[in-house]
Amino acid sequence: MADRHATHDRTLIGSGTFVRGRVTGTGDLDIAGRIEGEVTCSGDVLVDGSGLVSASISARRIVVRGAVKGDLVAEEAVILEAGARVVGDLKAPRIAIAPGGLVRGHVQTGGAGAARPRTAAATASRASASGVSTAKAAPAAARVEAKKAAPPAARSAPAAGHGGNGGKSGASRVGPPPPVVPVLKKGTKAALHHKKR
Amino acid sequence: MASTVIGAGITIEGEVTSDEDVIVSGTLRGKLVAKDAVTVEHGGVVEADINAGPVAVAGSVTGNISSNDRVDLQNGAKVVGNVKATRITIADGAQFKGNVDMDV
Repeated sequence: MADRHATHDRTLIGSGTFVRGRVTGTGDLDIAGRIEGEVTCSGDVLVDGSGLVSASISARRIVVRGAVKGDLVAEEAVILEAGARVVGDLKAPRIAIAPGGLVRGHVQTGGAGAARPRTAAATASRASASGVSTAKAAPAAARVEAKKAAPPAARSAPAAGHGGNGGKSGASRVGPPPPVVPVLKKGTKAALHHKKR
Repeated sequence: MASTVIGAGITIEGEVTSDEDVIVSGTLRGKLVAKDAVTVEHGGVVEADINAGPVAVAGSVTGNISSNDRVDLQNGAKVVGNVKATRITIADGAQFKGNVDMDV
């Protein structure tokens, strides 16, 4: 009985326990149950095989063997072991994904900075578009640059043409993007029909 | 059976529902529902209504305690709130302010 009353400094969310809300503080956290909300911890967080976390986790080290839906941000390392299922972004100086670990999301190692590449491209194209509208000294050159950046900035290019004085708006107009339809091999549809029947 | 432990450095704001034992050494604000025993250890702070099996308190509880078994307020316990249980013990040195409801 006496040792039961020794103060615990390790936190364990047992497999039969469901926490809804915010979990914060120092020390280590083992999750074998369910958490919904937010986890912020200055120690290590371990999501066990039976753990089901629907929360963003921020900790020093995060080890996952269970399921997590939410972003994982660690000061030291994120380690996904076999059986881990993560839907969300990973960010840590060191990230390990063992065979058998599943991830859907953006993974970024290294320190802070550098936004997600897709958004970076979007901002870059936006910046070039604004450059077109403001730079009246050399509109032709700017247009050429806009054309260069055409694939990612396909939508912003016509807008840029309107923003500039629109002398040759026809030239700067880019056709609609190619349709996003998967190319099926010959006989695939027939095979599908056969499967249905 | 494994139990749930809220360690000394941890604060939970929200609702904790458990089918097993819960030991609170840290801080819990919100609501605590357990099918089994709840222990609030010395240094543990619970600002929540507790609904559980046997409850043992050596720390601080602000909120109503409802148990389908017994409630033990141990030495060093500080409880502000109503207690509803079939059996209650209040140890010498426990601080308690609230109503007691033992369904007779």
